Amino acid sequence: MTLLELDDVTVRYGEAVAVDGVSLAVAPRERVALIGPNGAGKTSLLNAACGLIRPASGRVRIEADDVTGATPGSIVRRGVSQVPEGRHVFGTLPVEANLLLGAYGRVFRLEIVSSTLRYLRSRRDVRDQLERVYDLLPKLRELRERPAGRTSGGEQQMVAIGRALMASPRLLAIDELSLGLAPRLVQSLAEFLVRLNEEEGVAILLVDQSASLAFSLCERAYVLETGRVTLEGASRDLVGRPEVRSAYLGGGPDAPS
Amino acid sequence: MTTFFQLVVVGISTGSVFAIVGMSLVLVYRATGIVNFAQGVFAVLGGLVTYSLSQHMSLVLAGLLAVLVTAIVATVVAVVAVGIRGRTTHLASLIITVGIAIFAEAVLLAAFGEVPRSYSAISDRAWNVGGVLVQPQYAALALVALLAAVGLTLFLRRTIVGQALVASADSPRAAELIGLNLRSIAVIAFALAGALTAIGGVLLAPTVPVSYSSGLTITINGFAAAVFGGLVSIRLALLGGYALGVVEQLVVGYIDPQYNLIIALAVMLVLIGWRSRGELAV
Repeated sequence: MTLLELDDVTVRYGEAVAVDGVSLAVAPRERVALIGPNGAGKTSLLNAACGLIRPASGRVRIEADDVTGATPGSIVRRGVSQVPEGRHVFGTLPVEANLLLGAYGRVFRLEIVSSTLRYLRSRRDVRDQLERVYDLLPKLRELRERPAGRTSGGEQQMVAIGRALMASPRLLAIDELSLGLAPRLVQSLAEFLVRLNEEEGVAILLVDQSASLAFSLCERAYVLETGRVTLEGASRDLVGRPEVRSAYLGGGPDAPS
Repeated sequence: MTTFFQLVVVGISTGSVFAIVGMSLVLVYRATGIVNFAQGVFAVLGGLVTYSLSQHMSLVLAGLLAVLVTAIVATVVAVVAVGIRGRTTHLASLIITVGIAIFAEAVLLAAFGEVPRSYSAISDRAWNVGGVLVQPQYAALALVALLAAVGLTLFLRRTIVGQALVASADSPRAAELIGLNLRSIAVIAFALAGALTAIGGVLLAPTVPVSYSSGLTITINGFAAAVFGGLVSIRLALLGGYALGVVEQLVVGYIDPQYNLIIALAVMLVLIGWRSRGELAV
């Protein structure tokens, strides 16, 4: 059974087609990458999966439940959380408040009073979850009082990941993990994601422009170009393909290896 | 010197209203990124509804109902301003609130007539403090402004709902992604700010009669107070409101009532410039 399934999804902005009939699936506990150049439609596809935009056609399913056009909140409640491109931490709020809001968002419905009561009643679970996230990302415990906007890029990426983890997702979709971060930092975040996947069983959908990162991190990958999937398969198979090497791994067929 | 202090006392009381409106604007701005140019209308609505209802019931009950009615109206304004999905751009929302302010004047004129309305104050006695007369109404206004400042600061900093409001303006996209509903957030911010401004209006009307057209002046003064705090600081919006009120009264007392708003706004402009220079220097 698949955890997240996109079936022939098309996303349009007015006349422009950003995603053109893409199908993609992530199984529970799987690590899947979605790579492709700038403007290929990776973020649009992710946003369609997370309920930020409604696909023009096609279906989105989570464990066989049709969630096409559902609100981002209901997607989060079904266990799919997104770490957005550019991290988007709540800059003026302390790191801990950023994390707690991840748990509040999960129980938030249209009506604020009952949402808040639901959150307050689950306070003990929220505290436990907060401790788990602090254990997974100990750096955040040190930074708990600091406004999230005053932390480094790598720390903000941790805040954004921690905030998503507060909703106890079964699938974590990460848009541009490596963007603007030092290679060493990216490496340790990647190792963290593998640990999260193997020890906690959280499936990972990684969207990144860096194909080498995506291939080393994920078992399976999709290549998206101008809104269509041009290649898909096991990472170790894709790495060897000449068209992948030339376009994404910075070495043409003639490049010395 | 007694005159001076008397003017300061009156200034702090009218300034409290500006502060209340200013803090309401800050609350809405910090939650939604929108400057609500219809905010002053809520003060007018509070005053006029209280007046109308007080013909049929006790003043206290009328005042409470007026605050409730205004909060409900503010809810409607919120949905119109941010759209059903809560995704109208900030600039478009701001222009919509200007439209609502103009529309509201027409509705208020049709519903309540053009006569400025007032009703009796909390008490018609006044405390004599060394020759300066302090009306309980003034004290009530100043107290409400102070309590609102403390309450709002704690609300935004310490409560999960307040933090959710701040988060939604910090990054609307991330707020949506974690499951917050932007329209609900806007509704809460507008309703709270509407209720607060209405309390200001209810308390203001006994000292300064309000009419359908008072909204704009109240908005401008509240906006000046809010801008003093860069539209984000509750504390500075409070101080800005007090300062604006006092300067206006001093102009009324010593120069010419005709120019009070112009001179007060000019002084505010200088203060804001001075404050932001200090920030750059730090």
